[in-house]
Amino acid sequence: MIHYRKDTDKIATLILDMKGRSGNLLNHQIVAAFAPVIDHLKKEKAAGNLNGVIITSAKQDFLESGDLDYLYRLQDPAKAFEAAEQLKQFLRDLEVPGVPVAAAINGDALGTGFELTLACHYRVALADSQLRLGHPEVKIGLIPSGGAIIRLMWLLGIERAYPLLLEGRRYSPQEALKVGLIDELADSREEMLAKAKAWLLKHHDVARPWDDPEVTIPGGTAADPNLGHRIRLLTARLSAHTNDLYPAKRAIIDLLAEASKLDFATAYRLDSRYYARVATNPVTKNMISTFWFDKQAVRSGVGRPKGFGKFRARKVGIIGAGQMGSGIAFLCLRNGLQVVLKDVSQPIADRGKDYVGAKIDEYIERGTFQANEREKLLDRVTATNQPDLFKDCDIVVEAVFENKSVKTKVTREAEEHLDEYSVFATNTLSIPITELGKESSRPENYVGLHFFSPAEKTAVVEVVAGEATSEETVARAFDFAISIRKLPIVVKDSWGFFAARVLNTYILEGITMLNEGYAAALIENMGRQAGMKRGPLAMADDLGLKLVMRYEQQAAEHYGERYKQHPAVPALTLMRDQLERTGRSKRMGFYDYEPDGTARLWTGLTEHFPVTKDDYDRRRMRDRFLFAQVIEAGWCLQEDVIEYIEAANLASVYGWGFPGYTGGVMRYIYSYGQEAFVERCRELQERYGQRFTVPRYLRRLEMEALHP
Amino acid sequence: MPTEAFIYDALRSPRGRAAAPAALYEVKPIELLAQCLTAFQRRTGRDDLPTEIDDLIIGCNTPAGDQGYNIARAALLYAGWGQARGGLQINRFNTSGLEAINLAAARITAGYGETIVAGGIEVMSRVPTYLNGGPMMNDPATVINSHYIPQGVAADLVASTHGLAQAELDAYALRSHAKAVAAKEAGHFTRSLEPINDQNGLPILSEDVLPRPGLTAGDLATLPPRFAEMGLAGFDEMALHRFPLVDHVEHAHTQGNTSAAADGCALCLLGNRAAGERMGLKARARIRAVAMSAVDATLLTGGVNASDLVLKQAGLERGDVDLWEFNESFAAPSIRFQHRLKIDEERFNVLGGSIALGEPLGAVGGMMLCQVLDELERRDLTVGSLTIDAGAGLAVSTIIERL
Repeated sequence: MIHYRKDTDKIATLILDMKGRSGNLLNHQIVAAFAPVIDHLKKEKAAGNLNGVIITSAKQDFLESGDLDYLYRLQDPAKAFEAAEQLKQFLRDLEVPGVPVAAAINGDALGTGFELTLACHYRVALADSQLRLGHPEVKIGLIPSGGAIIRLMWLLGIERAYPLLLEGRRYSPQEALKVGLIDELADSREEMLAKAKAWLLKHHDVARPWDDPEVTIPGGTAADPNLGHRIRLLTARLSAHTNDLYPAKRAIIDLLAEASKLDFATAYRLDSRYYARVATNPVTKNMISTFWFDKQAVRSGVGRPKGFGKFRARKVGIIGAGQMGSGIAFLCLRNGLQVVLKDVSQPIADRGKDYVGAKIDEYIERGTFQANEREKLLDRVTATNQPDLFKDCDIVVEAVFENKSVKTKVTREAEEHLDEYSVFATNTLSIPITELGKESSRPENYVGLHFFSPAEKTAVVEVVAGEATSEETVARAFDFAISIRKLPIVVKDSWGFFAARVLNTYILEGITMLNEGYAAALIENMGRQAGMKRGPLAMADDLGLKLVMRYEQQAAEHYGERYKQHPAVPALTLMRDQLERTGRSKRMGFYDYEPDGTARLWTGLTEHFPVTKDDYDRRRMRDRFLFAQVIEAGWCLQEDVIEYIEAANLASVYGWGFPGYTGGVMRYIYSYGQEAFVERCRELQERYGQRFTVPRYLRRLEMEALHP
Repeated sequence: MPTEAFIYDALRSPRGRAAAPAALYEVKPIELLAQCLTAFQRRTGRDDLPTEIDDLIIGCNTPAGDQGYNIARAALLYAGWGQARGGLQINRFNTSGLEAINLAAARITAGYGETIVAGGIEVMSRVPTYLNGGPMMNDPATVINSHYIPQGVAADLVASTHGLAQAELDAYALRSHAKAVAAKEAGHFTRSLEPINDQNGLPILSEDVLPRPGLTAGDLATLPPRFAEMGLAGFDEMALHRFPLVDHVEHAHTQGNTSAAADGCALCLLGNRAAGERMGLKARARIRAVAMSAVDATLLTGGVNASDLVLKQAGLERGDVDLWEFNESFAAPSIRFQHRLKIDEERFNVLGGSIALGEPLGAVGGMMLCQVLDELERRDLTVGSLTIDAGAGLAVSTIIERL
């Protein structure tokens, strides 16, 4: 469990090595194993036989995060409080007795795993840019339980600790050094241990800053008027960005402000109280379910056709060197692949390579890459206008203009040079894959790979199977997506695939409300306050009203006689055809777009859509927005457009910004309650029409399917 | 017939500029308050006035630092008014001074005290508002639960919801300045005004300094928005959480159409009939009614409700009010107040308001009372209404009536 070694300089090294596991987990077992070790260390120190302790790991990970299975099921705040207090006591036992402890971080240390290092007096990490450190708990709706919020506040001050905790980023060691999470980097394991030892030999009497009565929190406390004012501004920003829907984020700012005014022991206990409340909050359960368990499920192959060997792409061809193409190129480089970036002319292709360079610079700025890695990364991308360079590519992705003949042309051009095994993927968002695949010389190898914009930041891609696409090709596209750290969502070739089809219902609901006489501003505000990233009218403009309409027309074709026109259609037609306000790309849609980038709701809207409703029901508007999407997702599941609930949840929160606090478009039913959901649909259906009919699939859905 | 609360006298210091060069910056708040207190002795001709005083109630927006630790009690002792009873400091933001007067009136009316000095003080050049601290300022949970946003952003929200552009706010500000400049030149402020002197009796400040003669629309038009930065920091969006019918908050308020921070002190000598008879003083007016109201904490437009409420308490109609005083922290709520209550320009803030004169937060209510009382007397009118909007949706109103 814990290997103990002591050298001639009286430095003890503790090597974490839990048996029967691939990694170390901070749980009661390891805590129990530590107890006698700490006792022994105290005695050694008292006897003058110990200069310090190094903690490191024998596993690839330094220490994994906590046990989320247990946590997901934990409903009792008293138990959550108790668990947090126990972990905290263990960490105090480590940091208090005066034995200097250095953490030599040789692998990932995230969440609870990072808590242990924060209870050490010094942190040195291996400078391996693949390692990930920090506190990403907030991403699953949680806050740390071992006092990391309090320790980081004391180490860095409120204003530096806050963004680390609020954003929950997983930092590379280089970034971690920059933001202050660790003290030093080392190039090798040997150097890391040497640095830890050198530090220990220099620091015999160690007390944590919070245990030293002379030391205060860097930057001050919330009681300082200036810092108090800045905390107020941070709070306003948080409220503006999250619409007060995320308990963990509120807890972080709240706890930092409050704890800064208290002594450490009280603040430390208060941290457990906040933790207990957040950990047992239903929003947290939603988020753990989706952002942890669903994600794990897709990563481990949910949606991937079975029985095909793992596809390892080494060289990737990309056609189209615009924002999307260069974004995909960057992703490939970042994950160790070779790239051929092609466009119609060499200068355009070169410009695409420059985009990639600019993105690398951005990440150098953040500390993800080192400046000296820039050339090495860029060397792996070849910019060209020659399709023959695709000849040894394992997969080619086209991201050219959304036009069938252009897409056909570049496909044929590339296919001339591809072997029969390689995959050709198209990044279309509205042209059926089956249709495009017919023009391909190898339709079984032709697949849709729909990246969302911006490609490098959106966590999901849709893998779209056309009628002729082989299962093996789907599996390979899936594996390729995983290799560039995307979550592949396997969908059928329906209009708008899955994401755009469902999102369209949100947009149409907003336009319907406009037609009903609600003020445009109200519609947009209510959309955002429901937790959507943007208002439905703004999203309509972004997508373009022509495309919004095209999706609805495709729905009409699909359902044939069963189709009942969406009430938004007349308003949409008016905007698109009579008023010719087709959206953002034309600088006029529901909004007016100024050259300086500002967008304001078009003042002419009230003329064509007079505001007749002076009263509004917040809850009903919110339900209409979210229910429309949940129901459409239900149809997609019923019609096998998408097969897995896990994938549907992930596509919704990552792909089109369905509110994360709900856990996604299907999990939403679980937190709303199935019966209540069906009942509410009935009300909405009576009032607003058949689009609120509950699909059979959702009616019959076992609630067990909606949570881990 | 319940006991009535009479105003025997009211006086104030000049309103000094709080931004440098700030004349009253060198005067300790307690000294400023003491000079105002002792002015009553001179004005009533009664050196033994302190023996009559049952309480001193002082409103202060930022009762901290040099204005802290119950400056009311401290000032009695400092000024040699040790024989006076009481000393109470209260805070209801910038309504504090008016609220102190209302509280004193309520106490006298109820029979708990016969003679009370009440008013307010604020030396903003010395004691900036942030010294207050407090959960509305630095406790994130309170900020989110209350959705209390900076008052400037709230004022911009009012301007946005009422379609008031900067030009209209500026036009209002120009009127305020013109009225204040004219009143100052005509000497209409002098009856209440007490000059503030140094320890040798040498003058430090003897008149209001902020009204700007010759101010033009052009001077105001070019001023940048005052609250855009706070709005963009997130408070605009918080405003929309509460008021989703608003598309966006237009930041129409500038330094020019909002009140400037100011220094000053204003006091009122209140008592029942018996106290006046005993002291040989003639009452100048009575407090006819007092009221307080609150609306959504994101707003600062409680004044309309407070004013309706106080009229109801007084058994009066809007048309019975001869002169209206409304505290002009920001132009938009002032325009809205005047518009909603359909108040003629000839009866509204006839001496200008805080946009022109400056706003010493805790003291402004007492100053408004001084001004409206003097003006009712000068014009030989009867009923005056005073209303102040405060942060977090609060508002306070008072009706006074000449005898």
